[in-house]
Amino acid sequence: MPELRKDPIIGRWVIISTERGKRPHDFKKVEEPAENPAECPFCAGREDSTPPEILALRSQGKPNGPGWQVRVIPSISPFLKRDAELWRKGIGLFDLIGARGSHDVVIETPQHIANMADLDSSQIEAVFSAYIQRTKELEKDEAIKYVLIFKNYGYKAGGSKIRHSRSQIIATPVNLKRVKEELEGARRYYDYHERCIFCDIIRQELEDGRRVVLEEDGIVAITPFAPRFPFEVWILPKKHRPDFSRIDEEEKKNLAVVLKKILTKLKSLLNDPPYNYVFHTAPFRREHKGYWTTIEDDYHWHIEIIPRLTQVAGFEWGTGFYICPVPSEEAAKYLREEK
Amino acid sequence: MPELRRDPITGRWVIVNKEAPFTPKDFEVVHDEFKGEENCPFCYGHEHMTPPEIEAIRPEGGAPNSPGWKVRVVPNKFPALKIEGELDKRGEGVYDKSRGIGAHEVIIDSPHHYKGLSELEEEEIQFVIDMYLSRSLDLRKDRRFRYILIFKNFGSIAGSSLEHGHSQLIALPMVPKNVREELKGAARYIGYHERCIFCDIISQERGNGERIIFQNRYFIAFCPLFGRFPFEVWIIPVNHNCDFGFMPQEEKPYLASILKQTMGRIKEVLDNPPYNYIIHTCPVNIIEMPGGYHWHIEIMPKLNRVAGFEWGSGFYVVQTPPEEAAKYLRKELSV
Repeated sequence: MPELRKDPIIGRWVIISTERGKRPHDFKKVEEPAENPAECPFCAGREDSTPPEILALRSQGKPNGPGWQVRVIPSISPFLKRDAELWRKGIGLFDLIGARGSHDVVIETPQHIANMADLDSSQIEAVFSAYIQRTKELEKDEAIKYVLIFKNYGYKAGGSKIRHSRSQIIATPVNLKRVKEELEGARRYYDYHERCIFCDIIRQELEDGRRVVLEEDGIVAITPFAPRFPFEVWILPKKHRPDFSRIDEEEKKNLAVVLKKILTKLKSLLNDPPYNYVFHTAPFRREHKGYWTTIEDDYHWHIEIIPRLTQVAGFEWGTGFYICPVPSEEAAKYLREEK
Repeated sequence: MPELRRDPITGRWVIVNKEAPFTPKDFEVVHDEFKGEENCPFCYGHEHMTPPEIEAIRPEGGAPNSPGWKVRVVPNKFPALKIEGELDKRGEGVYDKSRGIGAHEVIIDSPHHYKGLSELEEEEIQFVIDMYLSRSLDLRKDRRFRYILIFKNFGSIAGSSLEHGHSQLIALPMVPKNVREELKGAARYIGYHERCIFCDIISQERGNGERIIFQNRYFIAFCPLFGRFPFEVWIIPVNHNCDFGFMPQEEKPYLASILKQTMGRIKEVLDNPPYNYIIHTCPVNIIEMPGGYHWHIEIMPKLNRVAGFEWGSGFYVVQTPPEEAAKYLRKELSV
């Protein structure tokens, strides 16, 4: 019997389709377009083939030369620009604003490695440090409301043909719809219960155990109760905190270890699938009229990882109602057993 | 400079690339190879390959589950939801769930294996619309259902596994999230302005004309200013009506005509792209219908890969401004 499940945060229903029930090897291997690593502009030694860096973690060498561990550069085709004016206008009933913001690319390793799963956890930790430094820098611009950190791995997940491991940071002058929905859902829950919904989810999942992939050193990885996609995984810190950029050194280290383990499990279980991850974190909070004062209590940052195994059809787009062919309990079981 | 635009109904922002807009040629359109009609369960003479039909249009008569039909509806062989049983809603700590009750049907658009919607005659498209209406009216008699979703996937990357032209229908026991948001946005607007937001969009678009592709007596086809996808097209009735199921008879031939024109033009200009369309209509069997909703069809050609950014944020990057997309689709700009 198929089941309908509701995401408790934003209220989205998903169909867990048992008729279409699938196991990991039922998903076809996703082919990647051919690439020529010799042409990769992101490898160490080719710093001059990218725009000048914005930030780099380096123990030696000069800016835009080798010797870096992680390097952040502006995107060559930015969606949003730092120097754009933030104009606002209305055309009849439509609202338009200037595309002020920024769009950066984080080069996660000087070596030509495609999947973050194959980086050392200390390297992943350095990537997090770059995310945090960059977020704090962007926070200084009053026009920026939100910083979105995400990764497109593999062509089908929106990655390019050059497979050098990297992620992106986009700073926006508006609050994003999806983030707002989560914040509103979390606030609604907190208003009534005076508890954080994410903390409650973590507590319930750890007691139940069926959807826990792993738990170590204060970090929990679960398959969500109402997943949109098969083998979707969320990584949540047990410590309540609205902002990713405020985590401490210890958490950062533990988080890198867990993220590496999860990405490695997904890689081996699902034949190196394309995937996306998105950091869900609270927007910047600046005192102003109508300032949302409860975010500190309401919201709990986390990472959502989505392997791209299925085609998203018209049905999903149009309705925000997803059909997931793998129950999360089964996905978690496979992932627990996988190395 | 790029521009951010806001959907006035749901409040979603999109980024429009105005600096280096993509032309139709800049997209990598994925084409499927035809597998042929030999093993096609939707062709004449293969009726036994599907579950028994629910309904069919046979103007010249004939037995169920035999050739001679114009449009045929069968249950989905791999239904996402099951028709029998009670919902049995329950909680599990912070979570809510219920049994997967619903209907999942396949509407075979025509007996022609190789014809897309735009290649059907207008009369044949009218049969398809008749069937959409008939199923919508029939399924809403089941009081368990709250929403009847009619949509079409064309091409494998748009989620279609069979090449013979077909549409799908899913009857749901709850109102899907995006529809709830649209209803809420429309209700908010009518609450303040005492006008339907969709009617206002129509009059603004008609006044301006920049984004309109086709119009006839009862419908307009246009690229919405705030569309999420490049070359997204909406077809909307000019006369206010929230419920697709109650479309007036006289509008039907005009809908068939504008659908044929629009789908034909998309096929021509974008090199037969995969696409989805969805009929957005109001819920059924709910006690108090919020005001200000207006049914319409949203057509989304699948031209690019939606990436992590869009998923995580609900924030879309549109590579071709709708004004330009409309110019291409009106053939004022050549590809």
